[in-house]
Amino acid sequence: MTLSHFLLVALALFALGLYSVLTRRHLIGLLIGVELMLNAASINFLAFDRFVVKDPATGQIIVLFIIGLAAAEAAIALSIILSAYRAHRSADVDDLDELKN
Amino acid sequence: MDAVHPSAWAFVVVALGGALLSVSLRNILHAIFGLALALFGIAGLFLYLGSPFVAAMEVLIYVGGISVAMVFAVMLAYSLGKKEGGSTRRFLAVVPVGGFFGVVGYALLRASFAVTSKTGSWDLKLVGRKLLLDYNVVFEALSVVLLLAIVGAIIIARRDEKTGDDKTADEKAASKGNDAASAEERAS
Amino acid sequence: MSSGTLALLCTHAPLVGCFGALVVLRRAPRAAAALNILAMLASLGAALAIFAGSNHQPPTIISLWLSSEGVPISFGFLLDGTNQLMGIIVALIALCIQVYSLGYMKGDPGYARYFGLHGLFAWAMLSFVYSANLLQAFVFWELVGLASFLLIGFWFEKPSAAAAAKKAFVMTRIGDVGMFIGLILLLSSTSTLDIAQLMQASTLASIPDARLTLIALLLFCGVVGKSAQFPLHTWLPDAMEGPTPVSALLHSATMVAAGVFLYARFHPLFVAAEGVSNIVLVIAIITAILAATIAMVQRDMKRVLAYSSISQLAFMLLGLGAGSLYAGVFHLTTHAFFKALLFLCAGAYIHQIGSNDMVTMGRQGAAKLRLVSAGLVIGAAALAGLPPLAGFFSKESILAALHGAHANAFVYGAYLASFLTAYYTFRMVFLVLRPSDKSVLPAEEHEPHPHGDVTGSMKLPIAILTVGAAAAGFAGDFIAKLIGAKALHPTYGEMAPAIGIALAGVIVAFFEFGRKDAAQQGFITRVGALDTLFERKYYLDEIYDKVAGGLVSLIASVSAVVERGVLDGTGDLAGNLTIATGDATARMQSGRLQLYIGSAVLLIVVFCYFVGGY
Repeated sequence: MTLSHFLLVALALFALGLYSVLTRRHLIGLLIGVELMLNAASINFLAFDRFVVKDPATGQIIVLFIIGLAAAEAAIALSIILSAYRAHRSADVDDLDELKN
Repeated sequence: MDAVHPSAWAFVVVALGGALLSVSLRNILHAIFGLALALFGIAGLFLYLGSPFVAAMEVLIYVGGISVAMVFAVMLAYSLGKKEGGSTRRFLAVVPVGGFFGVVGYALLRASFAVTSKTGSWDLKLVGRKLLLDYNVVFEALSVVLLLAIVGAIIIARRDEKTGDDKTADEKAASKGNDAASAEERAS
Repeated sequence: MSSGTLALLCTHAPLVGCFGALVVLRRAPRAAAALNILAMLASLGAALAIFAGSNHQPPTIISLWLSSEGVPISFGFLLDGTNQLMGIIVALIALCIQVYSLGYMKGDPGYARYFGLHGLFAWAMLSFVYSANLLQAFVFWELVGLASFLLIGFWFEKPSAAAAAKKAFVMTRIGDVGMFIGLILLLSSTSTLDIAQLMQASTLASIPDARLTLIALLLFCGVVGKSAQFPLHTWLPDAMEGPTPVSALLHSATMVAAGVFLYARFHPLFVAAEGVSNIVLVIAIITAILAATIAMVQRDMKRVLAYSSISQLAFMLLGLGAGSLYAGVFHLTTHAFFKALLFLCAGAYIHQIGSNDMVTMGRQGAAKLRLVSAGLVIGAAALAGLPPLAGFFSKESILAALHGAHANAFVYGAYLASFLTAYYTFRMVFLVLRPSDKSVLPAEEHEPHPHGDVTGSMKLPIAILTVGAAAAGFAGDFIAKLIGAKALHPTYGEMAPAIGIALAGVIVAFFEFGRKDAAQQGFITRVGALDTLFERKYYLDEIYDKVAGGLVSLIASVSAVVERGVLDGTGDLAGNLTIATGDATARMQSGRLQLYIGSAVLLIVVFCYFVGGY
């Protein structure tokens, strides 16, 4: 398995995440998609780290940061989802359209 | 240039398969399990890429923290009777996703990278040292971000005490969501 | 002091007075009045000093004001003879009238404001007189208009005064538009607005004939407006709504004199412009006779004097139009004295008796004011042109100028006008001083309400001006020398008819109004139609109202169509378009989050596709 393979795998993961973001109606489905995309980015970082860059520690640190940020993002997103659910009795994206038109 | 051992493909299959499951399964709870599977696969890929520490963190935080928190959230805020998107929505989604995949994939295949043989040290000690010396500002900033996330999550998810007189079952359930949110905080 | 400093002092001392009265000393009216009178004294002193030192000083002080596309516009003082003479007259008359106002305006709530506005007026007029540049002159010309607007509307709480002020402002503005266009044409033809330079023969010769005529006519428009000549004369009688000293100031040395002075200033230009002098003469003779006939039937003393001013200004223009700078300026000088005198006398009667009506004045015993009555008689005689008073000499020189120009028709017209002048002047005198028991004139409707006794500060200027009105006629040669024009000395043969005509006018007036037991009814009343015509001032106000009103409604109706159809339509269209666009774009905001994300990604893909150069 070479660099290109990893990059393609990451791309496929990213595309699946994007697809999930675009099609899921449940808000948590969107969150799942976002997590997948973040992980795809992480794979890219580590792959480049492994194959191209001479100093592998930096890539690992970046991935660690990504994981930390993802955790923060998930926390906020989940609380927003809960809050929205309480306000609308629904966690459906299509129901959150008060600003339309 | 040394390629990764072909057994990594097994993890690729796990990761992509999990991702496919998480995208395609109707039940949102099942989708989260699919996500967990994909995360396991990704952790395995990290292992193959030479970083067992990051792989461990991946499993610990993503699978153990975020996914579990999601499960909690779903339990608290699952609206019954809602169906997932129809075929029109899927079709509309395929166009940008397919376009994206095509464009970036084509670029990837055409690109050539200056691949070098592995020279750097994958020592965990080095990572820790760098984290606390070279990148300590980012490290501190991230810790502040996490703190803010915790506080923010509590504030957002908190049920308003003043207007909460007509408490329904849903709201009671929602107020417990705080616990779920802070649970994954602790996990992270 | 150099003459430049003196000129600065002369012109700007009244401004200091104005500022002090209007800003600093509002609550100390007596101090404000004193300050303004001191300022006018300083002005008069400076004007006299300029005159005294003029032999060894350069006549012009100029500094660059601004330069536009290579055309320098300067700001400065032109100190030649005409300006020196006019400056002294303006300062002297303004000073007299300010002193007079001390008594006349006593107790008025706007005492300080009154003197401040006087200062403004004097500043504007003096600056106008000494202006070295036509644009500068125009600025101060407009300021004179502004100051007279403020003074005519001094009692602005009276609706009629406010209306009169507005009318004066608008009517003079009509002429000023023409003048401004002329000024621009002059600038574009000669690339200079420097008065001294403009008046050089070589400069004038460089302008094409047709254009020179046009410029002269346009400048004359300004003169017509300012000096209240036909057809823009209707504002002047209405301007009587202001306090009487203001009328005296407006009519003698400042506002209306500014027009004639401008003509005198540009005399070489008007002479050089072909055909203009004939137009000037025609307008002047029409104005002279028209105003004189209206003055014959008025009962309001100030209105008689106002129409007489119009008529006399026309006389000045007759002299100037006939080509004699001397005659015009001479009459301007003498007129300043006797007209100020007459107005101050009228003011004294009004102050004492409390009515503008001449019949009422007579019946209330106006003749008891001996000094004032003496002033009135002398001023009236000067106005009527009886020898040896001031008006006689200047009027003779105008007639001589007309003779010299071989404009016979105008000579006869001038004879008629001077007969009428003598007649209406002495009608006024007799009505005021010799009330008749057999008079058929009805009493005034309003009860007179006197303001107070005539004070010493009012008598002093009357006395000074009486001397001036009696003696100014002998200054002819001096004035001719000062302005550098040829003096006219009419022969006795030329003078005889004029004297005879003036005397005839006085005698007719005596028989009709001055005799014991006179019926006090003018000969014109026998011709009822003419009487009414004169009484109603030739219906000119009504005609102007109709014409202007019709024009305004025409423009208004056209504008209304344009406004509703085009402008409103455009405005509505813009609004509706915005709303429609807003609606359309709002529909794009479907509230579908995923649609937004999808389109964003699609855009990025397309962008990458093109930027990536596939």
